[in-house]
Order: sequence, then structure tokens, then C-alpha cells
Amino acid sequence: MSASRTRKVLWSFTALGGAGVAASYFVAGAPRFWANWTVWFLYLFTLALGALFLVALEHLVSARWSVPLRRIPERVASLLLPLVAVGIVALGALPVLYPGAKPEAASDPVLAGKAFWLGVPFFSVRVLFCLALGLLPLWILIRGSLRQDRDRDPRFTIRARRFAPLCMAIFALLVTVAAFDWIGGLDPGWYSDVIGVYLFAGAFLAGLAATTLAVLSLKGQGRLQGIRFDHLYNLGGFLFGFTVFWAYIAFAQYMLMWYANLPEEVVWYQAHLGGLWLGVALLLALLHFFVPFFALVPRDAKGDMKRLRWVALVVLAAHWLDLYWLIFPALGQRPLFSWPELAFALFFVGGALLWLRGAMETGEDMPVGDPFLEEGLEFRL
Amino acid sequence: MSETFAVLGLFDSADALMEAIPKVRAKALGRVEAYTPYPVHGLDEALGLRRSPLGGMVLVMGVLGVLTALLFQWWMSAVDYPLVTGGKDPSSWQAFVPIMFEIMVLFATFTAGLGMLLLLNRLPHWGHPVLQSQAIRGITRDRFALAVEADGAFDPASARSALADAGALEIEVLPVPAAGPMFTASFIQRSLAGIAAACVVSGSLLYWAIKLMPVLPPMVHMENQPKLDPQESSTFFKDGHGMQLPVAGTVARGFLPFAMTTPEQSAGLVNPLPRTPAVLARGRAQYQVHCAVCHGVLGDGVPTLTAAYGAKPANLHTPAIRAYSDGTLYGTIVLGKNAMPSYAADMAVDDRWAVVHYVRALQRALNAKDEDVR
Repeated sequence: MSASRTRKVLWSFTALGGAGVAASYFVAGAPRFWANWTVWFLYLFTLALGALFLVALEHLVSARWSVPLRRIPERVASLLLPLVAVGIVALGALPVLYPGAKPEAASDPVLAGKAFWLGVPFFSVRVLFCLALGLLPLWILIRGSLRQDRDRDPRFTIRARRFAPLCMAIFALLVTVAAFDWIGGLDPGWYSDVIGVYLFAGAFLAGLAATTLAVLSLKGQGRLQGIRFDHLYNLGGFLFGFTVFWAYIAFAQYMLMWYANLPEEVVWYQAHLGGLWLGVALLLALLHFFVPFFALVPRDAKGDMKRLRWVALVVLAAHWLDLYWLIFPALGQRPLFSWPELAFALFFVGGALLWLRGAMETGEDMPVGDPFLEEGLEFRL
Repeated sequence: MSETFAVLGLFDSADALMEAIPKVRAKALGRVEAYTPYPVHGLDEALGLRRSPLGGMVLVMGVLGVLTALLFQWWMSAVDYPLVTGGKDPSSWQAFVPIMFEIMVLFATFTAGLGMLLLLNRLPHWGHPVLQSQAIRGITRDRFALAVEADGAFDPASARSALADAGALEIEVLPVPAAGPMFTASFIQRSLAGIAAACVVSGSLLYWAIKLMPVLPPMVHMENQPKLDPQESSTFFKDGHGMQLPVAGTVARGFLPFAMTTPEQSAGLVNPLPRTPAVLARGRAQYQVHCAVCHGVLGDGVPTLTAAYGAKPANLHTPAIRAYSDGTLYGTIVLGKNAMPSYAADMAVDDRWAVVHYVRALQRALNAKDEDVR
């Protein structure tokens, strides 16, 4: 398929999805529309933050092997720009889905006590602040990296390494606040300290999987010359390791709440594991842990392009299922899945792919100004 | 001349070594092995080494570890000794997962470490022939050695020429080192003597350590408690006894107050308990706790405390006592008789009646009629 034809197909998918998204608001109702919107906002937000984390991690630990690959997560992280608009629209979900921001919250003594934090004004301020704060690392790390392509100034590398620790703090704040607000806010009586770490695990996996897919697709087009088995192996190793991390965190949260059996904690699991949601949760465990884990156990599999491609696709699908499982039980006891969900998927996946395709055509495929590029290309396991 | 172990060719760079490997391997003269001062990328592929089976071993042992921990915990907590913890089902899988994870890691790491050292690298090695070569000084510093090792029929001369053709700077023929037998008589004697000496030294050290130093219990979990055990004296109560009678005017749970002050009042009472195996078992247990010390386990008045006890306890099988009504036996327990004190404070009402049943059973057992045996 030629590039312009792919572009046209993507545009038509996005337009079709957009029509479905608009229709779902009137046909399927506002709560379902906003639940879908929140899921997709968080999906792309965490995915972009995960990619940003990969970039910042490289600067933080002065990694050399990933220098030739760095432009890819940088481009994925650029999704944070259009996501500002998506996030602002998502504020519409507050009075519909979030009990603490609903008008009737004032009559609930518990929610009234938390009105300042959960109410629409401060909630919105927080979201806007986080969206803006996310652009700061984008500005410093990614715009600087693009500029280094032209001026080949090694001082950027030093600046990026100095900024990386702060970027990590920003990243931790954004992911934690996003988890507490958008996921915890659906059930204000529920307490879980680890939900931020849980979302981080999913975010990093999603960013990593998107990066891996983009690398493989560019390699399929004959670009990214010099990226070998050794580089892919490291990406695969990261994917492998963080599936375990995600499972560890997910199970740790579940087991502690299951054991303690405190009403304010366990009620959340009753909603999320009750009825058909149990099936969704089991599918999530399968797709988010068991399938990627066992697919990537053999040594050669971690650098095998075919294997990596489908594992990355499974991980990306599992991250959507994860957010679906976190958010949709707020709508009721039965998992809702039909054309509105598909329309949202078409719209957001199509839109994100259009943006990423544009980003992939911009500038060099590798940070050619980075003084460690050569060393990164020579990397061997 | 002794047999040849290998022919070593020395190169002065990793690149020269890598170039020479395919040339030498193509001649198929023997096993080709490389000795380098540091790991060289791509050497494994060039030498055609097979993939290590360690990964597969680790996977199998990891899975075995998970299953072992699962079965072990399930058997212990749900089958052999079910304990309800936190109101959970004893066979809850959630509680087993952390241990399953740990045992998986344990099995996998031990397999990786010990399998690599002992199984695959066949350690402990007592020495490698190449360590005795002239070239080893160079190999551990700045030289890269390619060895053609003898494997079946081996011709050192052609290996020598193959290495020379491949560009080796120096060539050394390495003979098989003369190996002494491992388990000589003196080695075994010295080993046994060493073990014996270690036993004597550690044993005497331990003996004197325990003898000379005060033995402190390593862990005192809840052994020392400020509570009073039965038969203990007490400085808290005025009479100095740890065991106290119930406070006057109070009624403990399960103890019905019963206005009975004379044996005559109790004579007409009827045993309210049915004569079932459960009641008899309870009576037997209570009898053995409270009665058997004096009346004997068979009720024949031959007590276990004969030497310490001056009075003569009653034989429960005398015609007089067998003629007692159930109520009189009950009354004796409550009121005591002669030297026997009242057991009203120690035995619940149902326990007393159960003991009455059991005493009747003892009496019947020693005075069985013919139809009982039939």
C-alpha cells in the first residue's frame, strides 16, 4: 500500500470513528460516552508518558544502547501535544461519572467533606496543570533533541542528563495524580496507595510496546539501519520484565485487600470482580501477563521481530482492557461492549496513528547529533 | 613422547583470531576452542558453540518450584492441618502466591547457579591443561589463543600447519598432563583425620561454651507470662494460693446454683444426660482428670498417688457404693465425703453427671453378667 493510500485509509477510519463517537453521545447516552472518552484519554496519555519515561530513563542512567532508538519514543511522546485538547474535553466527564463532582455530592456528608479536592473547580485546575506540566519535558528533552540534530551541540546531552531526575519526578507526579483522579475518583470511598504505581506499570508497558511497534514498522520500511538483534533484544527484555512488574503490582494490591477484607477497600474489588467483570479480569491477567510473559521467555524470542510485533500488539490491547476494566464498572454490573466502543477505538487509534505517521516523517530517524550515537550503534549484548 | 592434548596457536588481536577461526574449523582436525584475555563478541557463533541448555533447565525448575510450593502449601494448610486465618478458606490460592513466587525464584536461581557451575562447567576442576602451557602468560594478558584439541584420531602436525596457515604467530603443542589419581590412600587418611579433628575441636568448644556460659534461650516467645498456672503459689492473694474458690454469691457460666447441703437431698436426683458414647467419653475424660488420682483409673481405690497420700480412698466397686443411686453419687461429687473435698467448683454440672455415667460403666465392667459378654 502506498503511503498516501495508507493515509487516506487512516483518515477515513478516523472520520468513520468520529461519526460513531458523535452518534454514541446521543444514542448510547452521556455516561457511556464519557467513560469511553476517559478510557481513551488515559490510554493515550499514559502511553505517551510511558514513551517519555523511556526517553528520560536513557538520559538519567546515561544509557548508550538506546541512543539510536531514542527518536522513536520521542516521537511517540509528542502525542502529549494533541492530548491537551483531548484532556480538556475529558473534563466533561466530571459531572457525569465522578461522584465527588456530581451536583448531588453536596448532600453526601463524606463527599461534602472532600468537596474541595473532588469538586469540579480544583479537579479541572489539577488536570489542566498536569497537561501543561507534561509539555515541559516535551519542550526540554524532545525539542532540544531535535535541535541537536542540526547544531550537533553536545551540551544538550549534558543538559538532558541534568534535567532527567526532575523529569522523573514530573512523570511520577503526573501518573500518580492521573491514577488518583481519573481512576480513584470514580470511587471516592476506595483507598489504594498503589494505584499510581499500577498505572505506571501499565503506562511504561504501553509506551514501550508502542515504541517497539514503531521501531519494527520503520525497520520494515528499510529505515533505522544499524538497529540489530541486540537492540531489539533489549526492548523485548524490557517488555518481558515489565509484564512481571505489572503482574506483581496488580496482584500485590489484590492480595493485600483480599487478606485485610476492609469494607472500604474490598467493595471496589466486589464491583470489579463481580459477575461478568470476573471474566474481563481473567482475560486481563491472561493478556497483560501470561501471554506476553510466556511468549518472551525464550532468549531468541526477545529479539525476534515477528514475535515482538504480536506481543507488542497484545500488550497494547491489554492496556486498553486494563483501563476498560478500571473505569467501566462505574457504569454498572454488566460489561458494555458494542459499536460505541469500536467507534471510539477507530477514532482514537486512527487519530493517534495519523499523528504518529506525521511525526515519523519529521526530521531524522536517529538523533544524529548525539555524541553517543556511534557507541549506541556498536552496542552488543 | 606423551599424547597431545591440543595444539595452541597464538594471535595478537581479536580480529586476527576471528579471521582464523573459520579457516581452522574448515579443516575439521579436532575440537576448536579459543582462549582470550577478555570476552570477544561473536566468538560463540564463530566457534559454533551450541546454545546453552541452562535456560530450559531454569524454566523447568521454575515451573516445578511453583507447583511444589502450591502443592506443599495446599496440602499443609488445607488437608493436613487446616487452619482458618483471617476468616479465609484454608485452601485460598491467593495466600499461596507469594510463597509460590519465592520458591520459583529459589529453584530457578539454584538451578542457574549450581547447574552452570557443577553440571555444565563440570566444576570443581582440579586444573586445566592449558594452564600448564607456555602460552598462558600471554593468554591472560594480550594474546588470543586458538586451540585445536585432540578429539579421536588426531594429527598434531596437520593441526600445526593449519594454524600456521591461518596466521598464528606462535604455535605450541600441549601434551596431556600426567594426572595423578585423586583418591590416594594418604588423601583419604588426611581427609578422615581432618574431619575427626574438626569434630573434636568443635564438639569440645561447644561443650565448654555451654558449660561455662549461662545458657540463654535464643527466643522467648511467650514462655514467661505473668499469669498464674494451676497449683502455683501467689503473693497476690492473702492465703498464698494461686487457685481460689469462686467469690461468694457469684455463679459461673454453666454452674447451676443448687441448694443441696446433705446427701439425703441429692439421693432422689435423676441423671438428666442420655447414656451415649459421647457422654461416656466426656465422663471418662473428666474422671481421669479429677477422680482417677485417688480412686484409680479402674475405680478400684488403687490410686496413682498411694505413696504420697495417707488416707485410703474408696473402692467404687463395693456392694455399698454400687447400691448408691445416681443422685447419691452426684451428691458425693458436689458435697465431698470423709477426706474427699467438694468438686463443685472444678466440674460443671454436665461433667458431674457424665462422670456418674462413667462410674456406672466402670462398675458394670468389673461386675459383668453373662449376657454382657455374650
